Amino acid sequence: MMKTQGNKSFSARRLGAVAAVAFAIVATTLPSALAAGEVLGKACTLEGVSTGTSSKSLVCVAGSSGKLTWQKVRLGSSIGAPIAEITPPQGSIEFWHYRPEDKATFEKIIANYEAKYPGTKITQVVKTTTDYNATARVQILANPKAALFASARGSIFNDFVKSGLTADLSNERFVKRNLVAKGLTAGTVDGKVLGVPYHYLFNNPVYNTELWAKEKWSIPKNLTGWVSWCKDAKAKGYVPLAWPGATRGQAAQISNSALMNSAADYNTLSDNLADLNSGKIDLTSTWFKGVADIYVKLRNAGCFPDNPTGVTEAAAYNLFATGKSPILPTGTFSMGSIKALSPALTGKMQLMSMVLTDGKVVAEGIMNNTFNLSVNAKANPIDQRIAKSFLSYLATGPVAAIYSVATTQHLNVLDIDYSANVDLLNTSSFQGKNTMLAPRFLILNTSVSDLTQDALIQIVGGKSPDDVLPDFSKQIKQKLAG
Amino acid sequence: MIFKSTRIFALLTFAALILVPSLIVVLGSFKTDAEVYNKPLSLPENWNFDNYRRLLSESDLDVAFRNSIMVTVTSVALTLLFASMASFAIARMITISGKVLATLFAFGLAIPAQINLVPVYYMFQKLGLTNSFIGLIIINVTTTLPISIFILTAFFREISKDMYEASEVDGASPLRVYRSIALPLSRPAMGATSIFLFVINWNDLLWPLLLIQQPEKKTLPLAMLAYRGEYFVSFSMLFTAVMVASLPMVIMYLFMQRSFIAGLTAGAVKG
Amino acid sequence: MGAPALILFLAFYLYPALQNLQFATRRWDGITEPENVGFRNFTNLLTNDDLFYKTLGNNIEFTFLVVIFQTALALLFAVYLVKNTKTTIALRTLYFFPTILSSVSVGMIWLFLYDPNFGAINLFFKSIGLPSFALNWLGSETSALYAIAFTQVWFHTGQMMVVYIAGLQQIPKELYEAAEVDGASRWKQFTKVTWPMALPTTLVVMAYTTIQSFRAFDLIMVMTNSTAGPNNSTSIFSTLVYFTLFNELRLGYAAAQTIFMVLTLIAITWLQRRAFSGRYEK
Repeated sequence: MMKTQGNKSFSARRLGAVAAVAFAIVATTLPSALAAGEVLGKACTLEGVSTGTSSKSLVCVAGSSGKLTWQKVRLGSSIGAPIAEITPPQGSIEFWHYRPEDKATFEKIIANYEAKYPGTKITQVVKTTTDYNATARVQILANPKAALFASARGSIFNDFVKSGLTADLSNERFVKRNLVAKGLTAGTVDGKVLGVPYHYLFNNPVYNTELWAKEKWSIPKNLTGWVSWCKDAKAKGYVPLAWPGATRGQAAQISNSALMNSAADYNTLSDNLADLNSGKIDLTSTWFKGVADIYVKLRNAGCFPDNPTGVTEAAAYNLFATGKSPILPTGTFSMGSIKALSPALTGKMQLMSMVLTDGKVVAEGIMNNTFNLSVNAKANPIDQRIAKSFLSYLATGPVAAIYSVATTQHLNVLDIDYSANVDLLNTSSFQGKNTMLAPRFLILNTSVSDLTQDALIQIVGGKSPDDVLPDFSKQIKQKLAG
Repeated sequence: MIFKSTRIFALLTFAALILVPSLIVVLGSFKTDAEVYNKPLSLPENWNFDNYRRLLSESDLDVAFRNSIMVTVTSVALTLLFASMASFAIARMITISGKVLATLFAFGLAIPAQINLVPVYYMFQKLGLTNSFIGLIIINVTTTLPISIFILTAFFREISKDMYEASEVDGASPLRVYRSIALPLSRPAMGATSIFLFVINWNDLLWPLLLIQQPEKKTLPLAMLAYRGEYFVSFSMLFTAVMVASLPMVIMYLFMQRSFIAGLTAGAVKG
Repeated sequence: MGAPALILFLAFYLYPALQNLQFATRRWDGITEPENVGFRNFTNLLTNDDLFYKTLGNNIEFTFLVVIFQTALALLFAVYLVKNTKTTIALRTLYFFPTILSSVSVGMIWLFLYDPNFGAINLFFKSIGLPSFALNWLGSETSALYAIAFTQVWFHTGQMMVVYIAGLQQIPKELYEAAEVDGASRWKQFTKVTWPMALPTTLVVMAYTTIQSFRAFDLIMVMTNSTAGPNNSTSIFSTLVYFTLFNELRLGYAAAQTIFMVLTLIAITWLQRRAFSGRYEK
């Protein structure tokens, strides 16, 4: 039951990083806030919730009687207990990443690190995701001081690897002992760990549990259900989905949900995406027309905001934060920003599965191991050692917990305690779902990936797939030829 | 009558087009995001400096300010020095090189330096001039030389020939004529040009975006762009940043309106 | 005396400008060895790149719109504000004000004003009973370029107005007095005196505005979230070159695009000169 597709060897049951027991989730259960310090054996309210990734962590599981109780997270047979960070040499490096909203948190962590190791200095270089994806590789290639850098799983990480920028981290002890081994797959190429996927996130719609309870909605089970839910929500004066169509990277997140059940199984889907990437098929293929049709149905049902293609991230986040919209269709990584806008939403957000098919359900939700942290292979050896040291520092439980709790982000790090952040606890219940590794990142060519998303955005904007799909297929073809 | 009423209508419309957005920004910097979104034109419910306090404690705009001042002042000074020397040479046609210079820089005036995006990026990377103030200053000076020479040559030409010739007869070297006659007489022109250059360099985004990545070397427009990423969901914070970043220029503008306006148009007027 | 300027100019302007020609014949990612491909970049641009033609069209349309409207408005306001009174000076100061802001700030402000669902512009149209004017300004392919052109005009009209005022104030008063004696209407005075006398200034304003419009890069980057707008509807040469260089890492192709950018600029400038200076010389 508990499995993640696209990561065939993934089996949390055996590996036991997160939760150990198989369980089913009643998707419509509304989570209630969980206080820290729950005791073993006591009743809990939301199945699947886990308090962390340490040997002391608990998971909320239904016993044979059906009663929910806390049980110990069963950690798999590990190579050894997590280790402390590597001591760095003196010097200074840059840490490049694309999470501007996490800058302040990293700043604190870096301050602690620098206080612990005087003479070693880490400077953050932060860009927006769009800018980062467009320019970072070129700039890092010319800048060996950028000794530690992040990249999103998929085309961006792939580009970094191709440029020979990613040092092999396979033999680092902290990589073997401090990280959730299966989470590493997303940063592993030809058996070598070239990036440590730090985030374990869910690119699933986030919903406002209070609004859902108030309106007595239950989460739709299929595309027909979604169409009628959107109509109902719109009739009640809501913007059903706070979709930021003006920002490609964020607008694209919902495509994961549309893609996940668009093919008969995961292998067919990944083959289709690979073919799209190579130009073997284009957007006018039957399969992709089906994906586009999902968008058309949602659009016609009024799911998206007015003037969807002009909705900025700021506007979408504000729609959700002010309660005008019950769903923010992006992912867990947005929750930190939402809470900054509206602290009152703390503890009132949960993830939902968005099944956008009336046919076979291949997956209920999306997960992603991403924010791959790599050490710059072209940096000088001392700087590389500093980069490894800081990376290993980020991979220690207590430090990871600071980051995790401050940013509401699950991590692929062992020994974290999530209980200080109620939203982390609540959304951890999603770890027990039948999730799929985010399919949109299987398009490895950046131009193809961008144009595919732009085509879908145009469709939401009101255009017909009959016009958009051939037009964008032609543009993709020209990019692939160049 | 028609002239009068259309005049008033047109003038007021454009005035409103400038005042209303400015007001939205000023008020927005005191508001919460929900207020910015739901009541963009209303007064803030609570007048307080929370956004400003947050901005000043969380951002490194001060570093960007220092960098911008350093880069801009140095660039302007060097441009003025080199441009005035070249303009003098052109205006006086001291040698054949004057003509060559005039033609070359006229070309530079017609075709903006941004066409050199690709080669300059590659060249600076090789020379180690990326992430360097020196690199940025070199490119600032180079890109603004043609327009500065254009402005200053016109001024130097206006200085009467007799004055130059009189001193040349006295046996003064060109350098001395430049220093003792041309420079002192062209002070108003130099002042105007320097303000013109100051605004261009201060606001430039393209070249810093291309050449600077390290946060401690960021200029103000770059820092603002980064800031947009950091607070992408919060227009109240973005407006606060716009306020803080613009304030020094606005204050300078209010105190030095006349020279500002003269400076920013000097290039064009003297054409 | 001109040596320092000359050296800088040769090394960092002319040399790289000419290097473009060499780069344009390469297929090159800037890292590995360049491959000589002759004119293939050019033929590819001309025969197999819709985005290139779209960019060319956008850039020409954008430049023409901005030049025409900015010049016309600047002249109009200059005529209105040419006399020095307290009110006119105050208005001049106000109109000029946007020029001193940084383009990033201007872009952020207008990104908010243009917001289709929350922005002040649509709020205004809805409140005066013209909801059909409340467009999806930056989000729609049909309006995004115009929306940015409007911002560009808003940004720089004051600057050009001041240029015109300086020009208009140099027109001898006698000419107007003579016209008035002849009983010429204000419109006649404008067409017979102001317009011909201000033609040299017009040429300067247009040339400067043209170059400025090619530099709208900053506004576009900020207002369309570091893309070239919905379906590339705000792609102009400077954004195209930037994205080809960084996003796609195709230095040679970007250099070839640059050469077309220069040709376009020269063509536009030449057209303007031809259209106006012919009459000017008469």
